[in-house]
Amino acid sequence: MKITKKLHEKDKMTSEERFQAVINLQVPDRVPSCPFIYFFAAKYVGITAHELWSEPAKYRAAIDRCFEELGPWDIYYPVNTRFPEVYSFVMPMKSLWPGKDLPSDNIMQLLEEEVMKPADYALVIDLARKWPRWAQFAFFMQLISRIWDTVDEGWRGYAFLLPRMMIHSLEWQLEFASQKKRGATILHAYLQEAPFDCFSLARGLIPFIKDCKGRPDEVRAAAEALTDGYSFITQLFTRTGGVPRATIALHRTSNDFISPKMFDELAFPSLRRLVDKIVAAGISPILHCDGNWDLNLERLRDLPAGRCLVQFDGPTDIFKAKEVLGDRMCIMGDVPADMLVLGSESEVDEYCHRLIEEVGKGGGFVMGAGCEIPPNARPENVKTMLDSVVKYGYYV
Amino acid sequence: MCEELATFIADVDDEKTLFGVKEALESGVAPLMVVESLRRGMATVGVRFESKEYFLPDLILSADIFNQAIVLIEPLLKAEKTQSRGSIVIGSVQGDIHDIGKNIVATMLRCAGFEVDDLGVDVAPEIFVARAKEIGAGMVAMSGLLTSAFDAMKATVEAFANAGMRDSVKMVIGGGPVNKTVLEYCGADACGKDPTEAIRMAEDFFAGDLPKS
Repeated sequence: MKITKKLHEKDKMTSEERFQAVINLQVPDRVPSCPFIYFFAAKYVGITAHELWSEPAKYRAAIDRCFEELGPWDIYYPVNTRFPEVYSFVMPMKSLWPGKDLPSDNIMQLLEEEVMKPADYALVIDLARKWPRWAQFAFFMQLISRIWDTVDEGWRGYAFLLPRMMIHSLEWQLEFASQKKRGATILHAYLQEAPFDCFSLARGLIPFIKDCKGRPDEVRAAAEALTDGYSFITQLFTRTGGVPRATIALHRTSNDFISPKMFDELAFPSLRRLVDKIVAAGISPILHCDGNWDLNLERLRDLPAGRCLVQFDGPTDIFKAKEVLGDRMCIMGDVPADMLVLGSESEVDEYCHRLIEEVGKGGGFVMGAGCEIPPNARPENVKTMLDSVVKYGYYV
Repeated sequence: MCEELATFIADVDDEKTLFGVKEALESGVAPLMVVESLRRGMATVGVRFESKEYFLPDLILSADIFNQAIVLIEPLLKAEKTQSRGSIVIGSVQGDIHDIGKNIVATMLRCAGFEVDDLGVDVAPEIFVARAKEIGAGMVAMSGLLTSAFDAMKATVEAFANAGMRDSVKMVIGGGPVNKTVLEYCGADACGKDPTEAIRMAEDFFAGDLPKS
């Protein structure tokens, strides 16, 4: 479905045209917005977090109501999955879900347990040698069978998961259609943790740090070995989803978790290889950079110019990031979580104004929260953030 | 020998540190002196972390070396009384099950010589109060990664006030979204963003009279 509807009277571009312009580092008509709204939507409309993830119609209704009452926004951030087992493809960790393992009103939480063994690095390298395109999928199937008692190993596991993945894809299509009809475009059609970060999540932080010291070559080689399969799956999902963008989540490569030297030597080679592959396939990578990336910013300049978007969540100095990366990639962020929860509307307004003036200078900026909008954010603050792109964000 | 031990662990050199510990013990150095040397080395690790020469992996790996060394020293320490720098209760607050940061802070505080009682995750305010009362803790450290933790931290501070213990314990908070605004909101005494800040807060709260080698 092509987006034709303009979101505001003064707009000269559709949301998709605007988004393409900022990724390509061209100056759009105004700054676009992209709120990562998920569990916040449940609280806002008065349903439980359990209803949100387990009942797609309620999820869509909650998102639509946020769009109508707090938005509009330019870019919809899809994240919902009805099946916790499928979510493990995004982050291979044990997880506790509201209404299942946690009270219905809690949000999903991840457990730091070892689901990947040291011998798995060699397994990954072996799988990639035999079946480069399917190695990532095959490896994740093994991890997921260890994470969930409901998922068996081998063909039974595939029989359990593949239909659920198809249902999940169809539900995303319904969400996409609903958003496009309202004039919003879609952030990505695929989302997954980067290979190096996957290992950190699946091994557990402390065992993984010991791996990085004790077997660095194996860690780096296994991460690089996964990139062919990762790229293949990314292309598959972005084509079927009809959105030429994919998010690569980087939860464990900030300066909070590893040193810049480890980033350069162990994490960045596979990230660059992956980004190069998917860019060559016509897909724009969205780097979801949690934590503090101040000392990694220079290295990100090595990624292809005018093709990537990088999302920061607050700890990174986004104003410095503009100075370092502004001529290389689009930047998204970063209204801090604590400001959305505890701040006043005038504080949010002032911060968003500064973001637009400084990070939005000359284009290449998407207004968003630092990572996810917290469930207990003040709705007035969310609205102020989304309104700011109309109040301050026009370039012409 | 003790100076060398401090240098070895400060350089995050596991082989030299553990060999040095064995050698020191075999040559008759008092086990407590060995522990204090290791603690001095850990303090250097903290300084290097703060100056961004070191990063989280260096904290994790040096704490691991410290713990391995303690396993070697502990049988000999039983006869001697180790001197704690203060007693701390730590936990992830109610509704939050994240524990990586909390675990690292607990380990680093132990390495720095504090007695740490880790209550785990999803800790209700009344559990914090009961445990702090039971062991006579001087400091309560609350951790949270979620923004919903702000209210849980506030409720925990209030629980200490209701129990009449607010003035007898120092309450500190830490975790991803925690900052001075959150500190003001929940009414704790101080906040920190990394393990070295936690150690500094603890040192500020307790008298740090440790034996010198």
